[in-house]
Amino acid sequence: MLKLGSYPGQRMLSPERLALPDYDYLAQRHVLTYMEDAVCQLLENKEDISQYGIARFFTEYFNSVCQGTHILFREFSFIQATPHNRASFLRAFWRCFRTVGKNGDLLTMKEYHCLLQLLCPDFPLELTQKAARIVLMDDAMDCLMSFSDFLFAFQIQFYYSEFLESVAAIYQDLLSGKNPNTVIVPTSSSGQHRQRPAVGEASLPEGVEASLFSQCLENLCDRHKYSCPPPALVKEVLSNVQRLTFYGFLMALSKHHGINQALGALPDRGDLMHDPAMDEELERLVMRSRLHRTSRQHRATEPGAFGFQRRDKLEAPENMLSASAPTPYPYRWEPRE
Amino acid sequence: MAALPVPWPSVKMAAVEKRRPLVAPAASFTDSTRPSVSRAVASTKSEEDFLRQVGVTAMLRAALLKVLEARPEEPISFLAHYFENMGLRSPANGGAGEPPGQLLLQQQRLGRALWHLRLAHHSQRAAFNNNVGVAYECLRASGRKKKPGLDGRTYSELLKRICRDGEAPEEVVAPLLRKIQCRDHEAVPLGVFRAGMLTCFVLLEFVARAGALYRLLEDPALATADRRMGQAVLDTLEGALQASDGAVAPARYLEAGSRLGPDSLALAMDRALVARRPSSPMTREEFLEKAAALFIAKVKPVR
Repeated sequence: MLKLGSYPGQRMLSPERLALPDYDYLAQRHVLTYMEDAVCQLLENKEDISQYGIARFFTEYFNSVCQGTHILFREFSFIQATPHNRASFLRAFWRCFRTVGKNGDLLTMKEYHCLLQLLCPDFPLELTQKAARIVLMDDAMDCLMSFSDFLFAFQIQFYYSEFLESVAAIYQDLLSGKNPNTVIVPTSSSGQHRQRPAVGEASLPEGVEASLFSQCLENLCDRHKYSCPPPALVKEVLSNVQRLTFYGFLMALSKHHGINQALGALPDRGDLMHDPAMDEELERLVMRSRLHRTSRQHRATEPGAFGFQRRDKLEAPENMLSASAPTPYPYRWEPRE
Repeated sequence: MAALPVPWPSVKMAAVEKRRPLVAPAASFTDSTRPSVSRAVASTKSEEDFLRQVGVTAMLRAALLKVLEARPEEPISFLAHYFENMGLRSPANGGAGEPPGQLLLQQQRLGRALWHLRLAHHSQRAAFNNNVGVAYECLRASGRKKKPGLDGRTYSELLKRICRDGEAPEEVVAPLLRKIQCRDHEAVPLGVFRAGMLTCFVLLEFVARAGALYRLLEDPALATADRRMGQAVLDTLEGALQASDGAVAPARYLEAGSRLGPDSLALAMDRALVARRPSSPMTREEFLEKAAALFIAKVKPVR
């Protein structure tokens, strides 16, 4: 669970926090962003406070911030305003639509964008496109994507937006032969590599050299004021390869489970569909509908019709279901084409 | 909606504090992207007036000052607790009817004092001391007009409440309460009150840490720990606490720290294991009680 706060009495001593100047402390924890938003919300809901009182209004506001439900149906500018808001949004998106993943449905970029807009009406298409480019490696943009592939790519793109923009600039510089760090003096041949390697140049592989890229990113992480992935993990990703492309790099970031853990919004890929409470509820529904149906016997569809495919096959109810439903055909919203 | 209550002790403080632009509400935040803020100046003006009128401005200013004083790790949940407590206390919620009875008043005062005490962790000594002072005033002002002052009964009640809320087993903290309690009719000076509160909070943290230590020793299947192990850890702890009673403070901390270092603790546990004598289990309660006793032995009694 995303735990924003424990009770004040139980926390450990953290001298760094206490040594910061007032304004830095408030800015670091985005206190004023939330206070300001609380006031705006209050002004928009004046009738609420006449009914419940101001203290109650603020209590509920700050509690919802802690729980991460404060971003639901809010405008994009607010959703991306703080790292906590971004993480909350990712979590909300996952929780609301994981049944899509459970059903094994593949959707297009446009369809994922519609889902995002259900939670945030003015969510920009550009961001969804960028996330899709990571999954599809900047190719064939109308392809279908699985929920988990999209989700993890979207996470990197959305949470580290500003960082990725800087990374893209560095990548372009490296590609065109400039060294953003200006450590190495360009040789006379550097001018010739302004463009991407020509078709005939088979000897030069795609992308940039990983070690140089890694150096540049290390510098970037040091001076970046927005959140960036843990530098050690970025280094690790880059140390495994000789050369890599921009989208190859983003893909590796999105699949790195250490980076996912450090970000803290989503569970590991394997646990993405794991939700015992909801599974139980669904199973109950399925069992009930099965009893209902066998008593009526007027439909060919079997209980597997709801089509949730579980990873933990060992659990008894699932076995019962699959035994009685040898040909489960999953319920799908067929994506167009 | 006629009178929204702002019964806030530190509003006074807010008035004393220099007025900073950052405390002013919505309209003056510069980097805002919210459309409602960038509306016409006239409406901004009236919104500002509205906020001031209903008490939002003062309430937020007080809250912000509390946040800055306590510097909580999680300011947002701190604020949620803060406003929740304020809502519980305001007459708008429940207290609107006839004046509450004496007993209820007493409970409310205790609740308020407790809340002040918990605002800052005891390691932030300046903020904690400040809050202890405010809590003391809360309780003191309560008494009948003729006899201002905090009596031993209220003080003991408060200690009990802190321990109960701290989720420490009763038998573990009872010896401490016996040591630092005052007689019911005694007047409690601020110095004793402060020492009592601090000791109580430190003990609770000590017990919580001891509990964490026990969990490490615990055999999850049996839900008990090996007695030899438990005893070895307790002995090391005792050694560290009693090590250099004569030495001055910094040297004492250093020595205690080195005695509790992972190597010497591991050595003690290893020795205990190697002894290989048949052993009986040790329960969590027993471990906590013994650990707490080591701490409580160091507390000076008030009487």
